[in-house]
Amino acid sequence: MPLLQLFNLRKDFGGLRAVDDVSLEVATGAIVGLIGPNGSGKSTLLNLIAGSAERTAGRIIFDGDEISGLSADQVFQRGIARGYQDPSLYLKMTTLDNALLPVKSQRGEHPWYAPWRRFWQKQEAENARAAAGVLEQVQLLGHYDSLASDLSGGQMKLLEMGRSLMGSPKLLLLDEPTAGVAPNLAYEIFEEISRLRQQHGITFLIVEHRLEILFDFVDSVYVMHLGNLLAHGSADDIASNETVREVYFGD
Amino acid sequence: MINIDLGATAISVLTLFGIYALMSISLNLEYGVAGVPNFGQALFVSIGAYVAGVTYTRLLPLLAGMESVHPCGPTMGQALQLRSEIMATQPVAGFINLALTLVIAAILSGAVGFAVSYVTLRLKEEWFLALVLLVGGETVRIVVRGADDLICSHNGISSVAQPFYFLDDVQMSSILFMLLALALALIAYLYSQRLTHSPYGRMLKGLRENEEVTRGLGKGISLARAQIMLIGSAIAAIGGVLFALNTGFVNTNDYVVTLTLDVWVMVVLGGIGNNRGALLGAALIAIMDRVTQVAAIALNMSGSPIEFNYVRFIAFGIILLLMLRYRPAGLLPESRLTTIAHETAKRLTPGKTI
Ligand SMILES: Nc1ncnc2c1ncn2[C@@H]1O[C@H](COP(=O)(O)OP(=O)(O)OP(=O)(O)O)[C@@H](O)[C@H]1O
Ligand SMILES: [Mg+2]
Repeated sequence: MPLLQLFNLRKDFGGLRAVDDVSLEVATGAIVGLIGPNGSGKSTLLNLIAGSAERTAGRIIFDGDEISGLSADQVFQRGIARGYQDPSLYLKMTTLDNALLPVKSQRGEHPWYAPWRRFWQKQEAENARAAAGVLEQVQLLGHYDSLASDLSGGQMKLLEMGRSLMGSPKLLLLDEPTAGVAPNLAYEIFEEISRLRQQHGITFLIVEHRLEILFDFVDSVYVMHLGNLLAHGSADDIASNETVREVYFGD
Repeated sequence: MINIDLGATAISVLTLFGIYALMSISLNLEYGVAGVPNFGQALFVSIGAYVAGVTYTRLLPLLAGMESVHPCGPTMGQALQLRSEIMATQPVAGFINLALTLVIAAILSGAVGFAVSYVTLRLKEEWFLALVLLVGGETVRIVVRGADDLICSHNGISSVAQPFYFLDDVQMSSILFMLLALALALIAYLYSQRLTHSPYGRMLKGLRENEEVTRGLGKGISLARAQIMLIGSAIAAIGGVLFALNTGFVNTNDYVVTLTLDVWVMVVLGGIGNNRGALLGAALIAIMDRVTQVAAIALNMSGSPIEFNYVRFIAFGIILLLMLRYRPAGLLPESRLTTIAHETAKRLTPGKTI
């Protein structure tokens, strides 16, 4: 059974139909690409899945349960984490605190326990060890104590991904994970994604404009255009699809 | 020339510092740490004062085993006398009354803070709450002033008393009250430091920096915000109880919007998000209160028509402008979170890269 299924998902902004009856599937353990021209509704679709935008119609099934209508925090608790198209780090916090914030069920997050360290100190240290592991994986452990604002653009993207992982998601939604990143680092980010899939079995749905990189890593690709799904297939299928070439590459 | 009794001045400034510190710590938790712009600080402080007004006139006689006298109107003098008698002869009743006053004020104010923020923050963006509280605070004040029986409308209640009233040595009595105010401020400070430097503090700062992202990272933000408003409002009300006992009466005129602005000045001046900054801001404003007061009296005696309040407002305005221009983060900018996590990570980091 697929990890994520969308049935006739629709989103209207006033008169604008940003997502128009989209149905798709993401298999467990897959890396799935979502591409399309600017304004075709990719980010909106991710917002709908993540619960940060309310759908107009349709259903979302995740891991066998219907999650349509859940709020963003509930969706995260179910195991869907997301990255954002715009920078979303907590710039005034350290790299480590950025990574620690999303950890689920922190005892010290409860205001009645928070003042009494002995209730949460041990868990915090364990979480810090886990965070150090994730930071090491994204090559940021040496920067654990830096403010997020002091990281480079590429490091910020890596930290964003590492931060999402701290919520131990089953599905990670990424919105242009390589935006604003130098080409060689962009490739490394995708290698990292591939490693995460292998080591932790995380499933990915990735919006990406750098098709030359994306196509090297995906199992399948969905193409959106004006809110509709235009095509679905392997990277090779999509690259040679006439209609897709027309709307996307303009030839 | 004006004679200044240095000892008495020090006591009154320190007492005021303790009271202001409770208010600024409260606002710093709400706004500095959690980013909730509470423009109803005067409301929550006033809840403490009103509760004191009610308990000292209704509960205190009960605790002392006496018949209470209606504190308003013709029996006002009688009520005042009764209070003096009880406070002078039955200190234990006075202490119990104070303890109950603090608890009731904290619970009531906390409940109001929780309810208001839970309702408004769920619906609208955070500045909506600021507006609701600003207008709501003033509305409550006018309603309370109109309610004749509660705290005697325009006249207010003067039947509150400091807990060490029974001592013959007046100075000792005010020193002990000062120590009480400082002790409560210290507890509030230590408590808010611990809250700030905890996973809860981390989550609140996350809310402050980016609400949408924090929600997307699994945090139920409406509840977290309502909880910090509960805590902050409770602390503010404790400050309000002491404020009323310190001035010696409860009058709605003391809880206007300018009180809210005073507290904001303390936080902006001291350092937004830094509990030590809140203390520093409270200290500076307590001192400035005194200095402007003396300056105003001196001005007055020299025949100048300028009033005390004007001197104060002008000084506050200049301070705010200078701070915003030269030190927008305040005198003591926010410090980093410190939990055990950083030590743990440090041990796991082989050699720090540059
Ligand atoms: N909050 C909103 N209110 C109104 N219209 C919106 C809103 N968000 C998106 N839209 C519109 O919906 C359409 C789809 O936008 P979306 O951001 O999903 O596109 P996208 O595929 O992510 O584009 P890009 O590749 O540029 O990021 C656009 O026409 C956009 O203007
Ligand atoms: Mg987009």
